[in-house]
This record gives sequence, structure tokens and C-alpha cells, in this order.
Amino acid sequence: MSEEKEKKRTMPKDIQRGVYSAETIADIRIKAETGRHRIRGCGSTRKYPTMEDLLILPSQLSRLSVDTYREDCRTQTVLGSRYAKKPLIIETPIMISGMSYGALSKEAKIAMAKATDIVGTSICNGEGGLLPEERDNSYKQVVQITPSRIGFSLRNLEAADAIELIIGIGAKPGLAGHLMGSKITKEIGAFRQLPPGIDLHSHPRHGDIFGADDMLLKIKELRDVTNWEVPIFVKIAAGRVREDVKIAAKTGADGIVIDGAEGGTGAAPVVASSQLGIPTMPALVQAVRALEEMGLKQEISLIVSGGIKDGSDVAKALALGADAVAIGTGAMIAMGCTVCLKCQEGKCAFGIGTQDPELRKRLDIDVAALRVANYIQAMTYEAVVLAKAAGKSALANMEREDLRSLTLEACAMTGVPLIGTNYTFTEPFGYF
Amino acid sequence: MCGIAGIISKKSDTLANDLIEMLKQIPHRGTDATGIAVYEERNDIQIRVALTDSKYQKDLEEIVQRYGVVSNSKAYNGVGIFTFYEASLAMGSENIKPLNWDIDSHPQLCVHSLGQRIKVYKDQGSADDLKKCHKINVGTCSHGIGHVRLATESVEDVNAAHPFVSYLQPNLSIVHNGQFTNYFKIRRALESKGVRFTTNNDTEMATHFIAYQMKEKGHDLEGALNVALDAFDGIFTILAATEDQIGAVRDRLAFKPVLIYEAENGMVIYASEQIAIAPIVPDVYATEMDPGGVKIWSI
Amino acid sequence: MVNLDVAGMSTMDVNAKLRDLIQDNDEIVVENPLSVHNFATALKGQGRITVKGSTGFYTAGFLQGPTIVVEGSTGLYTADNMGAGELIVNKNTGSNCAPSLVGGNVVIRGNSGSRAGWGMKGGNLIVCGDVGMWAGKMSLDGRIILLGKVGNGIGESMYNGVIHVLDPAVEDKLGGNVKVVPIDDKEKKEVEALFKKYDIDCGVDDFRSIVPKVYGRHEYLLFKPTHKQKGAN
Repeated sequence: MSEEKEKKRTMPKDIQRGVYSAETIADIRIKAETGRHRIRGCGSTRKYPTMEDLLILPSQLSRLSVDTYREDCRTQTVLGSRYAKKPLIIETPIMISGMSYGALSKEAKIAMAKATDIVGTSICNGEGGLLPEERDNSYKQVVQITPSRIGFSLRNLEAADAIELIIGIGAKPGLAGHLMGSKITKEIGAFRQLPPGIDLHSHPRHGDIFGADDMLLKIKELRDVTNWEVPIFVKIAAGRVREDVKIAAKTGADGIVIDGAEGGTGAAPVVASSQLGIPTMPALVQAVRALEEMGLKQEISLIVSGGIKDGSDVAKALALGADAVAIGTGAMIAMGCTVCLKCQEGKCAFGIGTQDPELRKRLDIDVAALRVANYIQAMTYEAVVLAKAAGKSALANMEREDLRSLTLEACAMTGVPLIGTNYTFTEPFGYF
Repeated sequence: MCGIAGIISKKSDTLANDLIEMLKQIPHRGTDATGIAVYEERNDIQIRVALTDSKYQKDLEEIVQRYGVVSNSKAYNGVGIFTFYEASLAMGSENIKPLNWDIDSHPQLCVHSLGQRIKVYKDQGSADDLKKCHKINVGTCSHGIGHVRLATESVEDVNAAHPFVSYLQPNLSIVHNGQFTNYFKIRRALESKGVRFTTNNDTEMATHFIAYQMKEKGHDLEGALNVALDAFDGIFTILAATEDQIGAVRDRLAFKPVLIYEAENGMVIYASEQIAIAPIVPDVYATEMDPGGVKIWSI
Repeated sequence: MVNLDVAGMSTMDVNAKLRDLIQDNDEIVVENPLSVHNFATALKGQGRITVKGSTGFYTAGFLQGPTIVVEGSTGLYTADNMGAGELIVNKNTGSNCAPSLVGGNVVIRGNSGSRAGWGMKGGNLIVCGDVGMWAGKMSLDGRIILLGKVGNGIGESMYNGVIHVLDPAVEDKLGGNVKVVPIDDKEKKEVEALFKKYDIDCGVDDFRSIVPKVYGRHEYLLFKPTHKQKGAN
């Protein structure tokens, strides 16, 4: 008996908490098999500092709050009035950002377009061309001019309520569209003028714009095409925000879209999503500071996207200085997406991120449209509740002095004082 | 938070005193500061400036003498530490705005009123304090506005008391009851257009905003107040006075009162409360102004 | 009957004097009120007080029994939280008249400002002149009778209670969650009795009643888009 007792020793338990986690080990093995970088849908899975680290100050005695349920708060938003004769007017500051027909199924695109009609907002077509059914069903249509010009022609511009000139997106800054062969069906191939079944790696730079000096003339050309009526937004992935925003402002854009690193995509190199670009919240603050330095904050509309998930993000983004926000992944989740991170395979079980006709049947267009519309309406409700509690009768009246930072990092990044103090690390981002 | 008052009474010799009597009735609305702005019938330009210390008087005189010739000048201590300076100026009216700007550029000086008819007396403390420390020296007036202050969000400092004036439109004076909730946003927008602010008081923003609409956008008082009604957010009941008009604007949710009594002889009295009207017209009912509206009276 | 001159007295003294006098006197005449605030706050007992002039804010607040006649006007928040008794104002009153009224009768012979009868829980509020916006907002019970023009948003978010109106244009000015119904005979008789009691010369046949659409429940919209939809809805 005592011999057995001697043999039974306590085994040490060493858990790898460092570099070589299960994720890293699997990653290395895949690279050993394939010899190339891995491409995956949905953007980065990292935990970034977000606007969750900001809090909103309510009104109590020094200000009176607006009755949440019985007194009005205006949500209508006007974008792009710097030069455009017909600015983009939407009923809520929440827009649906560009997700391509190709990455998404036709049913998903139509459902989102119908949702914009229900709530009175805009949808952007994305890289894959302008689906006629999307334009027919949407309330306001933003049309992208992507570097690759896939599916792009004059017809797109003539149908546009606003133009979005893509420089980059937050999920893969400096890179461009990726659509895997499994999703380039005959239909998609014909629509995009591509051979079916071959992986698409789009061109990252515009073939007719090399730099800011060209872009100034290009934007003028686009204005001449559209008779100076349509607002022109420039979409930038959040990187060197200050310099990029200044250039975009100088080239005559009506609005700037800043897409943070939390942004999603149909397919991107994993390493690009997780290592390139900065998150939305500090990017937004940098963009606002840059516009104010130039004295153009009142003229140029600022739209942010990347990780906007609920009404508190909307209210805080507006407070920091955005004029509108755009959602992408959120709208997909409202329709049924479970963020399985396999968009690039084209086997989406919900009929959203797939071209397989059998899987697409699973998406009921009208049910999905109502769900996305409900989600946008609910986010608007949340933003309104917060704005009214802060004493505002219009969402656009949210200001950065209504915010405080919960953490030291948020305080350092945004210049909004730390809760309970007037402390900021650098120049305060407002009158504190 | 505050109390406002106003009187239109052509050729009144007692207007300034009447305003102070009105303000004496509403001390519960604020004792942090009291102020009045009256419009006299006179021919010369007069100036009133607050100095943080009497030693800056020679700086002030040096600036003033660049533009005009001073006469009947007087300097005295106010209720607190501030010194007040008033004088008549012989100078062309085109010099009013540059002189106003130059004096406000000095960090220890603040113009309280500068113009051909306007005169502002304001100091910390109650209406009684104001009357005691300042010899209110005005002739026949046609109209005026007054204010008692309970500071909500900015400091209790004499220069943050109402009525406010703006160097953009020196004959405009504003009193305000309430608290704006988008003050910072509008301030930033005005500053990006080059407007200069000297306090953190939200009513200064309202004054510069309305003055900017009148000066840069060419609106008259009514047009400027209508733009203000849409742009401002929060609680605001505002009385604005120019040399020949008084305007009132009230926000859409109408939390703060303003009562208006129009007599048959052309006299008009404005007050936050019925009790403030009692010293002028003992027992009369004044009507509440409609929410979300602008009304103008021409003198 | 006894006379009381309150010129220059503080609100504390005025109320102390009233409480003292009401115990032994059925009739008190108050002179020189000069818009004093907090007149007859929480006054209990039985008796009639006539005020020769106007009073200020919170007149007859928390009143519990006596009858008060103000020959002039009253300020804001008149008869707030009043429990029993009567307040009759011969001229006009300010906004927020009779907020949280619990019981008793408030009669305004002139006009009232906005938010009249806010959050009423019982009792009767009669306004012979015009009222401002949001009359009867969020009332829980009680009756409001309005003879003159009404402002926008009347009956906003009423939980219960009834508002009788004469204004023919009231349908354009309804608040959220209320509807207009004909006045029924029982209510007509009650209104008639009140008019008789307070010498109000007005017929009751043209009145209509404003009641909540759904008892106790509110529809609310925090987002009100105004665009024209493409899709057939």
C-alpha cells in the first residue's frame, strides 16, 4: 500500500499563457501546410478600446432634462452640404455602410435596402456594382467608387444620392477587396465581369487617382458628372488620420467617412485586420481635431463606422463630433448572422454571406428587412433616450462636454477628462 | 435660476430706478449678481468699463484716448473688488467697435456698455447693493432690461453677470433666464468664424450669436432671434434690446416664465413674476408669452 | 369678520397669522397682498378668506379645507397639491395651475397658462377663460372643465380622469393617447352643479370629453421619421 502511495505524485500543471496559445499553434500549423497568409471574414477579433469607456453626464439641477416619452428630440440629419446642391437628408443619423453584392447574397442586399426605406436612411452598395433591386428598394442610395472599379460605370453615378470615394476600409487598410472563388458564381461573375470561381484580389489604389493633387481634380470631375448636385464623401481607413483628413478636406470633399479597425469585411488577411489601423474612438477624435485645426468642422460632414453596435455608441459618436454613423456587421447580426467568422467560405447558414441558391432560400427578405429596420429604430430610440437625459432636444446637439472618460486610456486617447476630475493628459478636447 | 425684467416707457425719468425696484421684488430668483441696461435719450457716446483693480485705470484711459476725447470721467469701487469707470466720449461712431475690441483685449478690463444710447450697470450682489454702490446716473430713457442672477454653471464673476453686450453689435444687450445645453457646440462654431469670447458664461454665447446674425448675416432683430430659437437648445427665455426695439424669445418647452403687460399708453412691462410688476403697476394681470416664439416691440 | 393687512409681511408671518385667525373667524379679508408667495400654504379649517389683490407663486398650496377667493390674479403653481376646500381666482393665473391636485375645487375665472392641471389626482379644475399648452398633462384622475380656447397637446399622456372642453377646434390640438367623446348625462349633471355653485353662466350641452384612448397605457414614439416610403406598407 505504501509503495503505491509513493508512486502517486502530484503532477505539475503548466498552462501556456504566453505567446504559444492554442490559437497561435493552430495558426503556425496552417501556415506550415499552405505557405501563405490566412484569409478570413469578419475583420479583427481583437478587443479594442471603444466608446464603452466613455460615460455621458445627465442633467439634474444645473440643466433640465427633456421628457423621454412626451417631448420631442429631433433626429433628422443633413450631410454633405458643403458644396452639393442636394445634400443627403436622412431621418436618423444611422446609415448602412457598404457591403458588396458578392460578399452578401442578393436577398441580404434587398432586405437591407428595404430596411432603409422603412426607417428613412441610406445604404451603400459596396464594391460589387449596383444591384438594381437594391436601388429600387432603398430610400437613399450611396454609391461607392472603389479603386478596383468592379461593376462601376456612369449608370451607378446617375442613380446615386451620394457618392463614396473609397480610399480604404478599416478592416483591411491599405489593401482592397477580397472575394473568394467559391462566392464568384456565374451570376456574380457576369455582374462583376470576372471569370467565375477565381479568387478576386482587388486593386488597392485608384487607377486614375495617384495622390491628393489628382484627387482634387477627380472630385471636381465627379461634380461635373453629377451637376454639382450629389454630395461626395471620401472614405478613409483610420490610420494617419490627421494627415488624411486634412488632405481630404483640402481636395474639396463634402464629407469624410472614417472607418475604424473594428470594421468588418467579407474576407481579409487575418494579419491585416488585426495589425493595421487604429480603432474608431481615437480616430474620430483625431479627425475632429484635424477639421477644427483647419476651421472646416462646420462645413464638412463627418461619418464614423467600425464597431457601432447600439444607441449609446451613436450618442457618444455624435457628442465627440461625428455627424452620422454607419453600421455593417450590426445590420447582419440583426438579420441572423452569428459572427461565425467564416464569411469567406460562402457557406453562410443564414443565407446572408453566401451565393449558394439553397442556402439563400433560408433568408426571408421581408422578415430580415423588418429586423434590420427594428434594430436601427431601436438604436435611434436609445440615442434619443440618452440625449434627452442630457437635456437635448436634437441628437445633433450632443457635445463632447457631455462626456467623461471611464478609464485612463480613454482619457489619454480622447482628451475627455477622467471621471470625477478635470484631468486630461494632453490638450483638453473641449472646454473642461 | 434667474429673474428678468424689462420696461418700455418713452421719455421716462425713472426708468432705471423702476427696473431696480422690479428686481428688488425677486431676490429669491438670484442674489449672485444684478444688472440693468437702459437706453437714454442723449447725444454723446458713453462708456462703462469694469476693471479688476483700480491700478489698470491708466491702461484703460490710454486705450480710450487713442479713439476719442474723454470728459466727465469717474471711477469708483463696486460691491466687491471690481472698480468701475464711466465717461463721456467725443468720437465718431465708427470708432465704437474698434474701441470695444481693444478694451476687451486687455485681460483686466471688460466693457459693460459702449454706445450712443446704451448704458449698463451690473455688479455682484442684490439690487439693493447695486443701488447703494453705484450712483445710477441716467437721464430720460425710453426702454431698458434688467436681470438678477443665480449662477448655474459658470463662476459668479461680475463680467459674467447679465445684461451682456457684444463687440460685434455694441448697442445690443441681452438678459437670459435658463441654461443652454449646446453652449459649447455653438461657441466652437462662432470661434471658428473668429468671434472672441471672454467668459465661460452661456449667455455671452447667445449675445455673440445674435449679434453675429445681425452683423454678418444682415438679419434684423426679429430674424436673428428666429435663427436663435432654432439653433439654441436647452432652457431659454431671453429679452434682447437694441436702440429702438425689444425682442423676447422663449424655447419650445417653455420652462421659464416671462409675463408681459401692455398698457394703453404704450408702456410695456416684462417680468419673470407677477410680483415684480407690482411696484410699477400695482394690480394688473400680465399674460404669459407663448412657447417657442419670438415677439418684437418697436419703441 | 376680521381684516388682515399683510403689506410687507414675510410668507412665514402671513401663514402664521392666517392659521391663527382661521381658528376663530369665519371670514377674513386680506388687504395689500402685493403678490406675496406661498399664501395660505397648508391652511386647515373652515372659513372664507377674501384677498383684495393678487398673490404670487404656490397660492393655496396643500390647502386642506378653507375657501379662498382671490379678487386679483395668482402666480405660477397655484393650488399645488391641494387636498380639500376651494380656491376661486377672479382674474388670471399663471402656468402649472393646480399641479398634483388631490381634492377640492379650483375655479379660475380668467385665463390660465400652460400645463394646467398637471398630474391631477382628484378634485375639479375649472378655467373659464383660455388655457395654454399641455393642459391636463399626465393626469391620474379628477376633472378639468375648460370653457375657452385650449392650447396644443391637451390631455397629453393622461392616465385617467376627464377633461370637458367647449373649444370646437380641439381635435387639432390633442396630445398623445387621448380621444374626444361626447359628454354623458351623469357628467353633464355634475358640471351643471359645479357651474351653479360658482355662478358660471354657461350651458353644458356643447361640451365634449377628452379621455385616454387606452386606460393607463401609452403609445410612445421616440423616433418620428417623416419621409415618404417607397414600399407598400
